[in-house]
Amino acid sequence: MDRTAQALGLAIGLGLADARARIPDLLAYDADPHADIDWLERLADGCIRYTPNVALDPPEGLILDIAGGAHLFGGEAALVAMIEDRLARAGMTVRPACADAPDAAQAMARFQCLPGADEAAAVRRLPVAALRLEEESETALKRAGLKTVGDVASRPMATIAARFGAEAVTAIRRLLGEAESPLTPRRTAPALVEERRFAEPVAKTDFAFAVLAELAADAALELEELKCGGRRFEAQFFRTDGLVVRLRVETSLPTRDPKAIMRLFQERLDGLSDPVDPGFGFDLVRLCVPQSEPLAASQLALEGGAVSETQMAELVDRLSTRIGRGRILRLHPQDTHIPEQVQLALPAVEAPPAAWPEAAAGEPPLRPLHLFDPPQLILVEDEQPTEGPPSRFRWRRAFHDVILSEGPERIAAEWWRRKGGHEAGKGGPTRDYYRVEDARGRRYWIFRHGPKADWFVHGVFA
Amino acid sequence: MKEDAPLFPPFAELVAATNYSFLRGASNPREMVATAHALGMAGIGIADRNSVAGVVRAWSGWKKAKEELPDQVHLRLATGARLVFMDGTPDIVAYPATRRGWGRLTRLLSLGNLRAEKGGCILKFDDLLGYLEDLLLIVLPYASPPVEAVPRKKMVPYDHGEDIAPRLSLVMPPLPERLAVILDRLVLRAPGRIWLGAAMACRGDDARQLVRLQRLARAAGVPLLATNDALYATPKQRPLHDVITCIREGTTIAAAGRRLEANAERHLKGPEAMAALFQSCPEAIAETVRLLARIKFTLDQLQYEYPHEPVPEGWTPNGWLVRLTMRAARKRYPRQRLPEKLRAMLREEFALIRSQKYAYYFLTVHDVVAFARAQDPPILCQGRGSAANSVVCFLLGITSVDPMQHDLLFSRFVSGERNEPPDIDVDFEHERREEVMQYIYRRYGRPRAGIAATVIHYRPRSAVREVGKVLGLSEDVTARLSSTVWGSFSSKMEESRYNEAGYSLDNEEIARLSIIVGQLLEFPRHLSQHVGGFVLTEDRLDETVPIHNGGMDDRTFIEWDKDDIDALKLMKVDILALGMLTCIRKAFDLMRANGLGDQTLEVDLDANDPAVYDMLCKGDSIGVFQVESRAQINMLPRLRPRKLYDLTIQVAIVRPGPIEGDMVHPYLRRRNKIEAVEYPSPSPPHDPDELKNLLGETYGVPLFQEQAMKLAIVAAAFSPEDANRLRRAMATFRNVGKMEHFQEKMVKGMTARGYQKDFAERCFKQIEGFGSYGFPESHALSFARLVYVSSWIKHYHPAVFCCALLNSQPMGFYAPAQLVGDARHHGVDVRAIDVNFSNGDNSLEPLLLPRGGRVLATEVSGSNPTIPFVSSAVETPFDPSPRHSTSLGTNGDKSARPFPLERGEGKLALRLGFRQIDGFSETWSNAIVAARATGPFVSIEDLARRAGLPPRALRLLADADACRSIGLDRREALWDVRRTPSDVLPLFAAAEARELAAEPDAMLPAMPKSEHVAADYQTARLSLKGHPMEFLRETFRSEGVLSCAETNAAKDGTRVRTAGVVLVRQRPGKGNAIFVTIEDETGTANILLWARLFERNRRPVMASRLMLVEGEVQKSPEGVVHLMASRIIDRTEELGRLSETHQGTPELLRADVVARPQAPRGHPRNARILPKSRDFH
Repeated sequence: MDRTAQALGLAIGLGLADARARIPDLLAYDADPHADIDWLERLADGCIRYTPNVALDPPEGLILDIAGGAHLFGGEAALVAMIEDRLARAGMTVRPACADAPDAAQAMARFQCLPGADEAAAVRRLPVAALRLEEESETALKRAGLKTVGDVASRPMATIAARFGAEAVTAIRRLLGEAESPLTPRRTAPALVEERRFAEPVAKTDFAFAVLAELAADAALELEELKCGGRRFEAQFFRTDGLVVRLRVETSLPTRDPKAIMRLFQERLDGLSDPVDPGFGFDLVRLCVPQSEPLAASQLALEGGAVSETQMAELVDRLSTRIGRGRILRLHPQDTHIPEQVQLALPAVEAPPAAWPEAAAGEPPLRPLHLFDPPQLILVEDEQPTEGPPSRFRWRRAFHDVILSEGPERIAAEWWRRKGGHEAGKGGPTRDYYRVEDARGRRYWIFRHGPKADWFVHGVFA
Repeated sequence: MKEDAPLFPPFAELVAATNYSFLRGASNPREMVATAHALGMAGIGIADRNSVAGVVRAWSGWKKAKEELPDQVHLRLATGARLVFMDGTPDIVAYPATRRGWGRLTRLLSLGNLRAEKGGCILKFDDLLGYLEDLLLIVLPYASPPVEAVPRKKMVPYDHGEDIAPRLSLVMPPLPERLAVILDRLVLRAPGRIWLGAAMACRGDDARQLVRLQRLARAAGVPLLATNDALYATPKQRPLHDVITCIREGTTIAAAGRRLEANAERHLKGPEAMAALFQSCPEAIAETVRLLARIKFTLDQLQYEYPHEPVPEGWTPNGWLVRLTMRAARKRYPRQRLPEKLRAMLREEFALIRSQKYAYYFLTVHDVVAFARAQDPPILCQGRGSAANSVVCFLLGITSVDPMQHDLLFSRFVSGERNEPPDIDVDFEHERREEVMQYIYRRYGRPRAGIAATVIHYRPRSAVREVGKVLGLSEDVTARLSSTVWGSFSSKMEESRYNEAGYSLDNEEIARLSIIVGQLLEFPRHLSQHVGGFVLTEDRLDETVPIHNGGMDDRTFIEWDKDDIDALKLMKVDILALGMLTCIRKAFDLMRANGLGDQTLEVDLDANDPAVYDMLCKGDSIGVFQVESRAQINMLPRLRPRKLYDLTIQVAIVRPGPIEGDMVHPYLRRRNKIEAVEYPSPSPPHDPDELKNLLGETYGVPLFQEQAMKLAIVAAAFSPEDANRLRRAMATFRNVGKMEHFQEKMVKGMTARGYQKDFAERCFKQIEGFGSYGFPESHALSFARLVYVSSWIKHYHPAVFCCALLNSQPMGFYAPAQLVGDARHHGVDVRAIDVNFSNGDNSLEPLLLPRGGRVLATEVSGSNPTIPFVSSAVETPFDPSPRHSTSLGTNGDKSARPFPLERGEGKLALRLGFRQIDGFSETWSNAIVAARATGPFVSIEDLARRAGLPPRALRLLADADACRSIGLDRREALWDVRRTPSDVLPLFAAAEARELAAEPDAMLPAMPKSEHVAADYQTARLSLKGHPMEFLRETFRSEGVLSCAETNAAKDGTRVRTAGVVLVRQRPGKGNAIFVTIEDETGTANILLWARLFERNRRPVMASRLMLVEGEVQKSPEGVVHLMASRIIDRTEELGRLSETHQGTPELLRADVVARPQAPRGHPRNARILPKSRDFH
């Protein structure tokens, strides 16, 4: 919802179809709350320059505790101007409000733009929505004719408490600054954090890595207790000069095996173009597990032997970490009739192994082992009947005499992908596939594109 | 014939699905049959999935083709079903070889249907074994995936007539091994009647599979039968089939993958193509013809037998009917010879009834009506439609129109030539119809009685939505497209609709959507039950047609709809529901209870009371049966009805038929003596007065269906059969070329007898107009009686009438707000809902009862009848602290005791009941009334405790402003309710002490009146305090906007601006004009918008709830005012200013086409020969 949209009378909550009905050439984008939160978090991080005490007020607010610090920036007004100015450069419009209580500031920022000269009066003028009660309670207050915070606050608190609960009273008192409202400063809270501080800076990367391995072992224990495994791990090496070196790895299956984790970190480290420079040494090593998934307690296979899924996954993880996730692919079955689209290669880390449809027992395979993409044109020389496979064809400069054949397997084109495909006869040519065996016993999968069109070989069976 | 012996061996496709295999088949039954014929097949077998719903259509299409081209159509038709099992058994196609076999099949399907919730069918292989006789079975080598059918928890008590206990079943191996086992078991039980179906589906391994099946068939000793398992007629239908597959699977076309068929091969293939496919196995082709030859059954053999009404020993059904009728006749004409006319009519009818063997039918209907009348209290009922042409029906009390007094055409009802069962429709009170229906189930037993089905078809809205979803269009695109469909006015989705929504058909996606929607329209979607058409049989009904569970408990319905029933000549009794009968009964009850006399439906009908007609002539007919719509109200002052027959014409004339046939104006001109009445005469040998006799009652203008038919018979020398065919043609197929044939015949016939050609042509045009609904006279006569009865009540007992109407809601044209407004306009004192005075229903109370805890003396007496919606009945004017002005104890105590009721309507006031509060449950109402017996409520807490109300009920009461008698207005009551923790009260109930301590007065600000009104509308959908427009008047006045009353009073031709809340938008007839009714505090105004202006104003017309209209006032000589709109502006947002927290928008009337799209009229599939009672045009 941008300013132009607002000017046109659109509002949040209006159905898109209705909005379109009003303004036909409306541009609409999907809301992305995650991205919004990410952005807010980045802004919050940026605000640490003004005060260490920054709290998120999602979805669109930030609370800065500037008590005792504003004079550093030339007073409240100057600070606000500074923030507005800085964010304006990032294309953001800010609605600031300063108040003694965080709840009051929050409410004033949302419900009125300018703080009045008399802060207490301004707070009282706020609509009851500023109390942030349940919608039903808010409506009840409005229906009772109490429209502002002041209206409510001037009634005996006992009558309010009897009707709207203690929360309502607390909310009022917080707004009026009569009650403490705790501020939760922002910090990222990964699922699991292990860290080790050093009394003396550690100058050697190897040692720091050894510490990391210990942390990984600690993390494994903890994960085991949680019956979880990590999917992403992040190692942070804090240098004494304030720089942070971060290494991130991810796995395709949840894991908590310290050895596996360390192997991935090692791969990552080896793959770095610049080796990690410890500078004046590290004073803190931290291992975070930002993402974890359930993983049942494991037991070793009794016989061992076959390549287990875990081993496969480990291999995939190592290779992906070393040569790039886009280069280790795994084939995935796709639900389609079109033979060349039946499988799709995806990065192996992303996609877990999937089940493939099983062929009917005792039946020869319907699909060849090797598929040409694109299919290769073959020459059929003699006049051929419109039904059935050719008796002789030329492929790769050699003639093949068809001795045995089976078919046709008729596969129609996907009409919905073609222009006008829904009209009769425009759905695209169908393919008639035949499995043929030539005189030398070689089997081919050939097809004809449409009743009179060319022949192709699409694959070889063996 | 030797020389054109076919080149290919004859072949019959015996596994063909139609679109009655819902969302599986992509062609309709007629198309399948036609294509099979075109391909030169020897026959076709229609077998839908666990259903025979489509076979009648296939059969009647086939029969018609055979009748029309007897030399060319050699196609044979087999009708059966494809049995799909829940236990992994391969699909089996079953064809009955004989009538008995058909009965076995339908009973098997009924068994499966009744096990499942509505629409499902749960069958197991073992069930089939119990019903094998005379069935020919084709076992297919695969099983369709069964649909999750929900087993019915509460089984309808149904007597299957034999032991259907599950027998011991063998453990079966899975497919394909199971196939051999199944074949073996079937061969053992039905030797010689089993085939194994084989299809060459172009799957790659067809040849190998065929060999396998050949081996299997040989081993089991059954022949192999060639089929293509067809899902549609031609390969063209593949896209449509893919789309319906996606709809079924709930997926999109892009994601459907292998759930779609790989190719388009499953269409009907002719003998040549099949011979090529089955080159290696020609005997499989030959088997199809062999199987077909063994089928001796066609649907013609469904010999229908009407239930044998118990007839006393020694009487024949005819004799008994004659006796009952004559006994009634003697009672009507005591101690005198029956009039000759009556005797002649009786002779004619009895002769027909005897020859057509309809006596049982009449006795059955008589029995149902007698049951309704015998109830205590009796259920009001009245026959309608063409049955009113029958004097037997009249004497038996089934209908109430005396055919003696009107020259009615009995052959319209039943005729020898027609060989068509009569159709008696009887209306019952809508709230009590269920009793009658359950009586019929009890009386005949479920195996012999079933409701007809209604096939629910795809309509533009549903088709666009579902196809759009499949094609991957986003919800908002389809929502936008379907929102532009004005109602469902056409069954087409025209190109212009796409353009209106802002989409171009040049866009590939939209073009695709448009074409597939066009194909899907009119596809059956599922079966539902008909509103009340019962099919009754002497033998088991489930041996004629499968029975299903209805959506409602205790309802079972058959699989065929009324067209199928007609085609098979089954008889059906329509047990219809009519809201007005409920209303009249309630009114009579109220009158009786209040000492206003004891009335019946015959209420001084012959009196032709001028006072009643005076009221109608003024157009004062809100709430009156049939003549309350805008169009009717406008017609009343022009027609000026003075007797019952005028009402008959009134009912019939405001219909699309007469309007489109341009008969209204000639009739009015002649009636008002502006134009001379003339009757063209034929040339000499014929009776010069023949038309005068025919059209005399209607001034020479044919208004009724019967007149059109008679005109054809008399003036154009049609035979009664021809006339009847004409009637059918005009009722069902108005757009089919058939009418031209009749036109020629009629014009020729009339000119031959000496009429002018242009007169003949005009007559035909008029008849054609009936194609879009005209009323038969008999039907209009029946309805006219109810018009009179309801007008009579409205005139003499307006409070009773309003109360009965409100208690019968939903019904009729108007919403409670308009009904109450009208009642107040007539001087009825309407009083607000109040916890200390109201009952659950709306009720009448003595006028002297103190209202709302105040003594009458302090009130402004009565309401001002000249200005509706004035807040005269607000008990407590907006006193900020009403509790101070009320002395509770004394008044409250008095009011709790029943007052001796005074006689006379003038002494009664209407007290609104709790049922007007949205979402207020009946249990709560009852609890309040019961608790009140011990004394009035004095506080919210008292109310909560004594009536045991949950917080929600209290909140609703407070929000409905129903606590004024305890001294609390809406706001204070809500404030109090919030602190009343009613759920803990029972603990303290024993203490009998006031639990909540007194608290300081919160001194809430007074609620502004506008907010009160908005809140009233939101909670009770009406306000006695004012109209929302009243509070916006100043705004509008400053813009120069007139009120509705001012607009109605303006001179003809004045250009005005007026505004009001939208009550109803309609687009009747051919849709060249849109009628909108708006309302404000002064009354209503009628807006007319021509269709060409509508396109420019579409958005405001569709979206406005508060509309500002600019236009020109047009006044008819009778004083009917229309505002011819030139521009419409949406001012809905103004309503938001009334209240922040209440949505106080008056509701739209039920006839509003935008909010409540109505089924399209006139499509042949939906046309009724008799229109429904409620038609708002």
